[in-house]
Amino acid sequence: MAEVILENICKTYGNNFRAIDQLNLSVEDGEFLILVGPSGCGKSTALRMIAGLEDITSGSLRIGGVDVVDMPPKDRDIAMVFQSYALYPHMTVSENIAFSMRLAGKPKAERKKRVDEIAKILQLTSLLDSKPANLSGGQRQRVAMGRAMVREPAAFLMDEPLSNLDAKLRVQMRAEITSLQKQLGVTTIYVTHDQTEAMTMGDRVAVLKGGVLQQVDTPKRLYESPVNAFVAGFIGSPSMNLFEGTLKGDELIAGSFAIRLQDAAFVRRPGLRSYAGRKIVFGIRPEHLYDSGLESGRKYQTLPAKVTSIEELGSEHIVHLKIDAVRVDSGDPDAVQDFGMASNAVAKFEPESAVHSGSEIRLALDDSKLHFFDPETHLAI
Amino acid sequence: MTRQKRSRSRLKRAVAPYLYLSPSLVIIGLLMLLPMVTVIGYSFQNSAVLRRDPSFAGLKHYQAIFADPVFWASLGHTLYFTCMSVVFHMTIGMIFALMLNSDRINPILRNILRVLYILPWLFTAVIIAVIWRLLLEPNGVVNSVLIQLGIIGSKIEWFSSPETALHAVTFANIWAGYPLFMVSLLAGLQGIPKDFYEAADIDGAKAYQKLIFITIPQLMPIIISISLLDFIWTMQVFPLIWITTGGGPIYSTEVLSTYTYKLAFSSYNLSQASASAVVILLISLGLTLFYIRYQKAR
Ligand SMILES: Nc1ncnc2c1ncn2[C@@H]1O[C@H](COP(=O)(O)OP(=O)(O)OP(=O)(O)O)[C@@H](O)[C@H]1O
Ligand SMILES: [Mg+2]
Repeated sequence: MAEVILENICKTYGNNFRAIDQLNLSVEDGEFLILVGPSGCGKSTALRMIAGLEDITSGSLRIGGVDVVDMPPKDRDIAMVFQSYALYPHMTVSENIAFSMRLAGKPKAERKKRVDEIAKILQLTSLLDSKPANLSGGQRQRVAMGRAMVREPAAFLMDEPLSNLDAKLRVQMRAEITSLQKQLGVTTIYVTHDQTEAMTMGDRVAVLKGGVLQQVDTPKRLYESPVNAFVAGFIGSPSMNLFEGTLKGDELIAGSFAIRLQDAAFVRRPGLRSYAGRKIVFGIRPEHLYDSGLESGRKYQTLPAKVTSIEELGSEHIVHLKIDAVRVDSGDPDAVQDFGMASNAVAKFEPESAVHSGSEIRLALDDSKLHFFDPETHLAI
Repeated sequence: MTRQKRSRSRLKRAVAPYLYLSPSLVIIGLLMLLPMVTVIGYSFQNSAVLRRDPSFAGLKHYQAIFADPVFWASLGHTLYFTCMSVVFHMTIGMIFALMLNSDRINPILRNILRVLYILPWLFTAVIIAVIWRLLLEPNGVVNSVLIQLGIIGSKIEWFSSPETALHAVTFANIWAGYPLFMVSLLAGLQGIPKDFYEAADIDGAKAYQKLIFITIPQLMPIIISISLLDFIWTMQVFPLIWITTGGGPIYSTEVLSTYTYKLAFSSYNLSQASASAVVILLISLGLTLFYIRYQKAR
């Protein structure tokens, strides 16, 4: 019975910087919630406020039904896994794991029993007497998890716990943490700026930008129906392509090409008709763009594009393209760097694609997968 | 390349590092090893230095020193002086470092305190000795303050009464020496990751538990090496004692360094003085070996 409920939480730092603005979030008992957003958007601040390491400027915070705003961290019944793991180098693995029990004055036998239990779950049994300095990154990560688990807290808070691991290990630990969370059933709030972690690990994902919550939803719904251009651009890798266009009747005009929209597009979005004759922002994910020379691209409308560069990843080709349209910035600071001057669109082609750098191609586009946003507010239509 | 050439270049490469080292080795040899060996030589001679052809004395001078009650008293005073100094240097240095590192104290006040606390370090031993002689004079500031506060009834002659003199010089030395600990520990404290304390906060650690379980273990390497160094240095302190009490009254502040100095330059018994110096050397050597062993083990 430990849901975490944030109501109108604000955080203003000493220098009058507002890091979190009116955050409302409710995490159900046993839920795995991911808090994601670009660097500096206030993820850590939010998590540290829940932990009690940072004062809450205004708003209410309840953990398991108890108002904890004025409680010190230790009374909040939470455990935290730090990005740096914060393992004590002078203590052995078992001392690290048992630290909170030792502070609480639990007898040695009880401590040992609990540490052994946890070591078994985390496969640390043979390492209990080692010092953290002698462990690998993944092992340290597991010790940090063990230290959080030992007290059976009402909620786990994790701040980018995998960011110090190499790519392969990160994939492995991602799966381990997810299955561990399911096994323990403890409410978990997990901060990351890695959108792959966000999409694969959580029950729900909360997207934060500039201290303001954008959308909270399941990964699938976040991917399929982002509420605004920022979420659309942030979720998914590579990012969604966003362009300026004009709606004329059934046609979407951008630069020198036009895309005919099907009736279904208007049926699904009653508001879309009202943009007739006006500017609009439209988006298409790289995976919904195809090489028209391949079988998969045959059935779609095409538009002219020039290939500027190709990243061959084996299972797919990431193709950078230049098309005749004005690119729109989603507002994600991390995404801007993907684009040089030469290209303004990214597509994911199948590895059979024979396009090469510099060639003029016809780009096929699945128009049923288009997203539309208001040009001013960037809200989804 | 021929074999001969190759072996010659290998030889060159092997010798080169020693060539670079040689100037410093020569200087150390001339300025440190040579006097040391000479003093050890003197300690086995009769009327060393004073006579052109001194005769071999065996262990006579060592026996004389070990039979001298003043030597044993000096050794005792040296140990008291050194141990008290090191312990209090560490304690005071630690307390001040913790204060300066605490963010509960206003940053401006912290900066002022930082300057104040480090002041004793700016004075040479001679100035420290003069300052404390003035402060601890029978008519000095310390006495009048203590009398005002009602802590003592009458004026105490801190440096000139045998009961208080050793404590007074020790006190002056403690005052003079804590900043080294303070500065080193402060640097150490600033190097402890903040996460450690935050993790402990979440785990429910009280302030003293954080001190015992995190701060002190994290500072241990610094505490041990600075303590050992301080021990070695303090054992050999001479000017402070020489200028404040000169080892008196009635040998009550005689330490090994003043004892040796007096043997050499008051009694002109340079042989016995050398023997005493060798004893100091051996004690320092033991401590230094211990220090090097510790440093290597880390
Ligand atoms: N103690 C502080 N005083 C003033 N501003 C702060 C403080 N801590 C953080 N900030 C600011 O608050 C904003 C949010 O910081 P926060 O650490 O929560 O970001 P984040 O989302 O965790 O970023 P990252 O992904 O880089 O860890 C940043 O712009 C940061 O500069
Ligand atoms: Mg952060």
